[in-house]
Amino acid sequence: MNRYEMIYIIDTGLEETARKELIEKVSALITANGGEIEKVDETWGKRRLAYAIDYKTEGWYVLVNFQASPELPRELERNLQINENILRYLVVKLVEKRSAVKPRPVRPAAPAEEVPAEEAPVAETPVTEAVAEVAEAAADTDAE
Amino acid sequence: MSEERGERRPRPRGGRRPRRKVCAFCVDKIAYIDYKDVNRLRRFTNERGKILPRRMSGNCAKHQRQLSEAIKRARAIALMPYTAD
Repeated sequence: MNRYEMIYIIDTGLEETARKELIEKVSALITANGGEIEKVDETWGKRRLAYAIDYKTEGWYVLVNFQASPELPRELERNLQINENILRYLVVKLVEKRSAVKPRPVRPAAPAEEVPAEEAPVAETPVTEAVAEVAEAAADTDAE
Repeated sequence: MSEERGERRPRPRGGRRPRRKVCAFCVDKIAYIDYKDVNRLRRFTNERGKILPRRMSGNCAKHQRQLSEAIKRARAIALMPYTAD
């Protein structure tokens, strides 16, 4: 399961009941294909488009957050493309905070420091100082 | 870190070096640049809607990459213009 975020723009020519129906239909499509809807945000509402799409200058924005298997977005996009009341759509995979990236190595504090480097909570200020020192050293070498 | 270099060490000959710009996203500690945040993104485009180069905005490489991706997404969904004139 991946987390996705989808925005689509509904034609403002559609009246409210039909619009509600369409939003329901799209949500049903996600759940029918094994997706799990986290949130449907309609607070965006009617917005001016930055450029005209099919000679229309306004659109009704709907934001949907959902979890689904990687096959679902393709099926979803296929269906959104068919519907002519949907002017535009965008499905984006939300990136989780990458765990593969190693945290920055904690530099031992300067020897003159009384606080031992092992104490993680206290070591916060010495670490930034150490980094600043390194930056200064780099600046010195750059200036040559 | 290195942003202080320019003002602290004035060059002896020739014109003055402009102050090194700092990445606005690093300052605000933003891990993910949201394409829906149009007001923030708009500051990094010129009035024609073009993405500003790093040498103008002062962004770091990591955030400039994310920023360009975010602006392009915003364009695709008509939150930002491709061109304006």
